[in-house]
Amino acid sequence: MTSKPTVRVERKYEGPVDDLWWLWTTKEGFESWWGPEGFRVQVNKLDLRVGGGLDYDMIATDPQQIAWMKQNNMPISHGTHGKFVEIVPMKRLGLSHMIDFIPGVEPYENTMVVEFVPEGKMVKMVVTVEEHSTPEWTQRAIAGFESQLTKVPGILAKRRGTH
Amino acid sequence: MVHMDAFQTLADPTRRQIVETLRAGEQQVNGIVEALDIHQSGVSRHLRLLLESGFVQVRPEGQMRLYSLRPEPFRELEAWVASYQQVWDARLTRFGAALEKRRARKKSAGPPAEKEDDSDE
Repeated sequence: MTSKPTVRVERKYEGPVDDLWWLWTTKEGFESWWGPEGFRVQVNKLDLRVGGGLDYDMIATDPQQIAWMKQNNMPISHGTHGKFVEIVPMKRLGLSHMIDFIPGVEPYENTMVVEFVPEGKMVKMVVTVEEHSTPEWTQRAIAGFESQLTKVPGILAKRRGTH
Repeated sequence: MVHMDAFQTLADPTRRQIVETLRAGEQQVNGIVEALDIHQSGVSRHLRLLLESGFVQVRPEGQMRLYSLRPEPFRELEAWVASYQQVWDARLTRFGAALEKRRARKKSAGPPAEKEDDSDE
């Protein structure tokens, strides 16, 4: 376990925690922010119980992103399958994803845990993402994929500027 | 022809110990063997793997062969982690924006009597 690479990110948001929980655990909430950059998501199934499914389409929206995906033989829309593996309302949420969208890479599961820690009027949200399978090419593919995703500057600014 | 990536290389506790030992500076095999307290053949085998995967380099000095760390694979690891961090940073920023939006909408939809706060978009 400890030898598996994990990524931990955290940020503080204004409380109370129920709105944060809502953003993770409802169709409308999840669709309003889950990315990555250059994509929107459309939730088809959200069954909030342990073992319950979270299925959604990840749809590329950014022209640069679409071009890059086509060039790499990736469909611009992808059905993504996840499931809830742990639910402690308002405190802790475990979510696993099937990673099956990387060309030439065997599908594998990826689990993340979200913790909500109240700190006065704020809530600290801690996300820990763990890799379940780490063959070399998977790492490389993801690194390449993810860094491509972040190489689309201005999307965020653009998106924010429009509302 | 087995090529391990950085994570596989460091997945082995003995290899991690060798890397830790070399952080202090160049070492001969003997020095590493002493620090780790395992058999020389084991150390040699792991050292070879570390050489092959680019974590370690070796240079001769007289009769000695001195092993040291190479920075490249560590940069690679860092870059890999950073790429995740960036994705998540952007995600958490969007999360914050979505949270504000939700609260603004709840407020304008006539919230239950609650203490008012002055959070504004």
